Amino acid sequence: MVIPTLLGISLLIFGVTQLFDPIERASLYIRDPRQIRFVEEIIKKYGLDQPFYVQYFGWLSQVLQGNLGWSQSLHMPVLEALITRFPATAELVLYSAPLTIVLGIFLGKISAVKKDTVIDHVTRVMAIVGWSLPAFWLGIILMAVFYGGFGIFPPGRLSPWAEAMIRSGKFKAYTGLYTIDAILNLNGDVFIDALSHLVLPVITLTTINVALIMRVMRSSMLEQLGKTYIIAARARGLDSKTVIDKHATKNALIPVVTISGLLTAGMLSGMVITETVFEFKGVGYFAAHAATQLDIPAVLGFALFAGLIFVIANLIVDILYAYIDPRIRLR
Amino acid sequence: MKRLTLETLDNEELLSVKDLVVRFYTYEGIVKAVERANLKLRKGETLGIVGETGSGKSVTAFTIIALTPSPGRVEGGAVYFRRAQGDVVNIIKLKEVELLRIRGKEVSMIFQEPNAALDPLYRVGDQIAEAILSHRLPEILENVIKFVEGELRRGRSGFGARLELWAYRKMLENPKSAILAILRRIPIIKNLMTRRLKHVVREEIIELLKLMEIPDPERIIEAYPHELSGGMQQRIMIAIALACSPVLLLADEPTTNLDVTVQAQIIDLIMRLKNKLNMSIIYITHDMGVIAEISDRVAVMYAGNIVEVAPVKELFNNPLHPYTRALLESIPRPGSPFKSIPGTIPNLVNPPSGCRFHPRCPYVREACKLEVPELVKVSEDHYVACLLYDGEIYGKYGGHGRSEEILSDKRRNI
Repeated sequence: MVIPTLLGISLLIFGVTQLFDPIERASLYIRDPRQIRFVEEIIKKYGLDQPFYVQYFGWLSQVLQGNLGWSQSLHMPVLEALITRFPATAELVLYSAPLTIVLGIFLGKISAVKKDTVIDHVTRVMAIVGWSLPAFWLGIILMAVFYGGFGIFPPGRLSPWAEAMIRSGKFKAYTGLYTIDAILNLNGDVFIDALSHLVLPVITLTTINVALIMRVMRSSMLEQLGKTYIIAARARGLDSKTVIDKHATKNALIPVVTISGLLTAGMLSGMVITETVFEFKGVGYFAAHAATQLDIPAVLGFALFAGLIFVIANLIVDILYAYIDPRIRLR
Repeated sequence: MKRLTLETLDNEELLSVKDLVVRFYTYEGIVKAVERANLKLRKGETLGIVGETGSGKSVTAFTIIALTPSPGRVEGGAVYFRRAQGDVVNIIKLKEVELLRIRGKEVSMIFQEPNAALDPLYRVGDQIAEAILSHRLPEILENVIKFVEGELRRGRSGFGARLELWAYRKMLENPKSAILAILRRIPIIKNLMTRRLKHVVREEIIELLKLMEIPDPERIIEAYPHELSGGMQQRIMIAIALACSPVLLLADEPTTNLDVTVQAQIIDLIMRLKNKLNMSIIYITHDMGVIAEISDRVAVMYAGNIVEVAPVKELFNNPLHPYTRALLESIPRPGSPFKSIPGTIPNLVNPPSGCRFHPRCPYVREACKLEVPELVKVSEDHYVACLLYDGEIYGKYGGHGRSEEILSDKRRNI
């Protein structure tokens, strides 16, 4: 399943570039009006006038060798750009995805168990409000209050002194995720600094996305609570805590796993607005800049990367499914 | 615990449902699902409840173990039940903590769809273990402790057994102990701590499954519900229900969704277990054939009312309520044309006034539209809720009780 899906994605995203004619694509490499006379030469050199399949297979064979092309906007190979930017995004996801999922499951469960009570209404209203807030607005407000008002939780990934420390030879970069690297280097100051830069973007992402998980969990939980096996479990003398935690919740989690996988994949493939607002230079930040500068190889590379993330996420969701649900294990 | 005077139940009786009113609050309005239902169950008796879909028979059964399905509410009446120790309680008024000690231990239930009544994510063995552990933990722990002590005395085992012994004693002392709760979170320690307990419970389950006439119980306890047939699933449900030898079993159409041959096996099994364990059974079904075969007495329900109660032979030979008669006539017989009861079961949001059966009743009178009939005793152990047999009320409207017409009609039927 994985390989055909990836081939399909690559075909689709490469096909989109064919909507431009060769001259348009060649002209992207021109920085100076005086170079216009080189357009023909560029088309020839890169084979832009070749039939689609020739170009596609040429590109694919390069991609398979790990060459995603040269990014004009970043002045480095696309693959290298993705690799250097990914840890920032991954670090953000490492904290916001689990927080969003756990909080969403918790709130959804409470709201289902306490259906139609004040707790239910308050939780649902708060979740919808969070869902409706635009990320850039919430981000700016949070930054104005905490960074502008109290001088805490600055934007970016690290303070300048910490950045200098990381660049120095004493600090080893194992993962590129600064909080984890700081723990591995036993450096408490860098850890706290990196963490304080993460607080606001993580709050933003959690606030905005928690409603998604919560609503799926709530409806799924309500569905399970109405099933016969719940009555049967209570009829054999189990207390409602066991019935809810052991039976209803586990069954209710099945659809939540899907949505959590999609959410995490979506986050990993870049959070354009949040990363831009907080100057958190991750994949989304890079993709947005590349797109505004018509940096086609970078955009292609980014799209392929996002596709890969989703395919992997689906694979993990399938494995988790089989772990939770014995009915799937057989097939 | 609320103690009641013993007058509410006489010595022979196990359960008494008194003037039970259950209503469902839905968007369409208030569904008057059960209206002043009265039932009595004697010790060791099998009471059949028959009626069409929506007559309130299942709701009555669920209410007996205080699990009235949402959005239903008990609006009146009482369910008196004699506990194993002999004291009589009103289930409706009981606190949840008390109910937990009754459900599954003294009163159990089996369901129409065994497939839906088992949690699909847990092995059936685990689900049976739940029933055993939630009621019989102290008793089982004592056995395990004796067993481990014996092992230690013989110098058979060392540290592991000592850890287990400590854990079991702690569990027996205080099942909610914080330190145990923490240790149980750690998988390896949990496994070490409960190895012999698991073994003992497993043996119990295998014994139980043998009692249910399940072949190859060692394999079945490891199976997930979806890997078993409907009949096997129902046997598992019965095993769960009978794990703690209850005095009362509520059977809510347990064979309706099974093949006919399997159906006979399951009914057979239930009746044999009933005699073995000395239980009482409330058996709900719309199958008159099953009722005739297994029950001692029968209660007929129509639109939330109990319309007739009689010993099974009496009911089949001498049905009094027009609905009971219609029900018996609609049993298909070879060679005679198929009969059904004209009309449909009424909408219980706005039930008919007076007797709820009056729109479909061939003997309807003016009185039937105005007066709600009460269950009256017509002969020893035979009760019917029909104005035709209630001379007092009927007389008020210028007629007389036990109309000649009905009696002659009845003769025709026989």
